[in-house]
Amino acid sequence: MLPAAAVFHFPWEINSGAVQEGESVRVLGRLVCYQPEESRATLSAQHASKEHQVVIHTLFVEPFNPIIGAQYIVLGEIESAEGVGAMVRARVLNCVDGVNVALLQKAINEQRSFFRERENKPCDAEQLAHAT
Amino acid sequence: MQAPTMDPAEEPPSMLWGLDPIFSAFARLYVRDILQMTESTQVPGIYFYNSHPIYKVDVLGTVVYQREREDFFCYGVDDGTGVINCLCWKNDVFKEEENPSKSGGNPSDGAQGGFNPVTELKKLRQAQQIRCRLEIGDLLRVRGPVKTSRQQREIMASTFYKVNDPLMAVQIAWMMEVPQLYRQCYDRPFQLQPKATGESAVSSLGKATNIIKDFFKQKSVSRFRPYDVQDLLQPLILRLPQTASADQEPVAGPSACQQLRQLLKEALKILQDEGIVYRKVKSQDELYHVTAQDKDLVIAVKDIIKEDCKREKYAEKGCHILHILSAVRQRYSLNVSRAALELVLKSLESSSDVVSTSDSHYTVF
Repeated sequence: MLPAAAVFHFPWEINSGAVQEGESVRVLGRLVCYQPEESRATLSAQHASKEHQVVIHTLFVEPFNPIIGAQYIVLGEIESAEGVGAMVRARVLNCVDGVNVALLQKAINEQRSFFRERENKPCDAEQLAHAT
Repeated sequence: MQAPTMDPAEEPPSMLWGLDPIFSAFARLYVRDILQMTESTQVPGIYFYNSHPIYKVDVLGTVVYQREREDFFCYGVDDGTGVINCLCWKNDVFKEEENPSKSGGNPSDGAQGGFNPVTELKKLRQAQQIRCRLEIGDLLRVRGPVKTSRQQREIMASTFYKVNDPLMAVQIAWMMEVPQLYRQCYDRPFQLQPKATGESAVSSLGKATNIIKDFFKQKSVSRFRPYDVQDLLQPLILRLPQTASADQEPVAGPSACQQLRQLLKEALKILQDEGIVYRKVKSQDELYHVTAQDKDLVIAVKDIIKEDCKREKYAEKGCHILHILSAVRQRYSLNVSRAALELVLKSLESSSDVVSTSDSHYTVF
């Protein structure tokens, strides 16, 4: 009954194959294009001097007020669609324009590194406990 | 992802649970961990995360599922690590709103323009109601005990509200904070600390001040010099050379003596800071006055309050403690500390010689 947890991902991870089809994700990006007749929006973000785009299927969140150039956060499932590769079928789409993108990225990395640290721990928990 | 599996035998005895501070706090755990905690075999409704007993949690997340029933809302909350159901009971605010017959009240009240408690209360209720009704995509903060019903974990909300977070600032702050909480509290094993060994140094100073205070009380000392009380502290100095014979090396002697003097100095410093003793005159002669026994000081303070309360400026409210302090310093002794004055005022108040009109104003009747 409850959907799967939507894990934070960066836009450049969606198309790189790091995320499997059917997985739930949440992604932040700048809305660059919206085609209401196709229920399709595109979020974009810069990373390592490259522009990365994520295609969003917006049927479930319509109608919404598209502000081109604003930051949006999307929660949804990865689907593969012809021509675009991975596409996010949105369950939630919120405008969060003005968000501190750098700080959010830092928080996501912080959370990831915490989980990585914790998952490595059980094998040598004793040693780590002494070391810290 | 490790499932915290725990041998029932490893479960800490329930008698000790309350000693773990996390037990009585709303733990800010990730939803994933809330879903995976092991339930206690001794008491259902108590869960263990890393052998910390937990029964109530604090969660912030996006609503991804929503059902409304007559008496409660059911929200699925997603914090990025898991999704959990939250059972949020509707309180009376909702019920009253739903039968408007009750609030059909007096329309004349609104027209007065001034502060109207009835309409203000209504506004407050509306605001509360708005914050309780969430749609998918809203941000929810919920705290409450964890329950398992039909093999599913859920949070029985004791408090819940919609969080306005258009810039994600609250979410980001939460994401930064929670890992720290895990590192500093939840992931640290709980151990009952035996009394710290470093305490002896502290406690000998505490003992020293207590010995001196007892001495003041027993003998009703009004003033003294350090050498009068020095011998009292002798028993606190460990390894005191037992009646060192005169021809022994003088190395061992001074150190114990110095320790004693150091201890006395620190103890007197504490007593001075607490206002129990003060030095009326700072001179070569180290003479200390015991505040509580200093009749002259007590009379001086009483006189100051009595006189100044006659002045129009202080007649109504009484004299402020800082005013009394400066007057005492002018008329009696420069070295009276605020702590000492507070002690005097306290004793005057308990004998009803003065009356406090606020926490820092005093007057006489």
